Amino acid sequence: MEFLRRLFAGDPPGVDKSVVVVSGLPRSGTSMLMSMISAGGLEEVVDGVRQADDDNPRGYHELEAVKDLDKNGDTAWLDDAHGKVVKIISFLLQHLPATHHYKIVFVRRSLQEVLASQQKMLDRRGASGGDAADAEMARVFAAHLSKVERQLAARKNCEVLYVEHRAAVTQPAAVAERVNAFLGGSLDVEKMSGVVDSQLYRNRAGQDAGSGAT
Amino acid sequence: MFGSKVKIDKALLEKATRYAEIAGYSTVEEFVNHALEKEIVQLEGADSEEEIKKRLKGLGYIS
Repeated sequence: MEFLRRLFAGDPPGVDKSVVVVSGLPRSGTSMLMSMISAGGLEEVVDGVRQADDDNPRGYHELEAVKDLDKNGDTAWLDDAHGKVVKIISFLLQHLPATHHYKIVFVRRSLQEVLASQQKMLDRRGASGGDAADAEMARVFAAHLSKVERQLAARKNCEVLYVEHRAAVTQPAAVAERVNAFLGGSLDVEKMSGVVDSQLYRNRAGQDAGSGAT
Repeated sequence: MFGSKVKIDKALLEKATRYAEIAGYSTVEEFVNHALEKEIVQLEGADSEEEIKKRLKGLGYIS
């Protein structure tokens, strides 16, 4: 009956019929939101391949198969991801197949903080992130985020809740309430807000210490 | 449902209908919309996508 009610009301599917996605730019607070939602009671779709390190002391909450979404990789794992939460960076959202419904918690963070955190991570990894200067990358990421927002708004199989990283750190209870409401209201809000560690919020704009939560 | 109409070659439409079914789309319209969205995204982001990819690879977020 619930299915019929939703069908005729035009309501989107519930969490159990959706893949819950935490998204955003790398180093925008996606791992923190994964921790919150997981603590709230939703199972994570992860493989544990990428281990916790100085950049993400509490782990990355990643699934390696996600990284192949842009290469027409195997997406069969999505069939088992209904009612669970998976981290997918914003760049890869465009490659999500239209054959599933997605509830996306999209984390936004100051680009200045994102870029500072990314640079520290690149330095630690001894990796190159391309030749573009910060100002150019900020422009590129801003255009990218704008495009992603337009794309998501146009996709009927995507619902999106935008969450500010700073609000999640400074007002975790309020953000947990919003996320819980978006995801159907069955999560443990107290546990969600309890996992937020403001000590990890170290790349606040204008500060220069440590790395920020991703 | 009541959007603008676009003429598509009959053979292409038949092929799209076949592959929409194989790929699990509920309608051929859904498949065509998704395919066009992906193509437009590629055209829009052609110049900056490489910079984003370099950055994401360096950070280990894409393979």
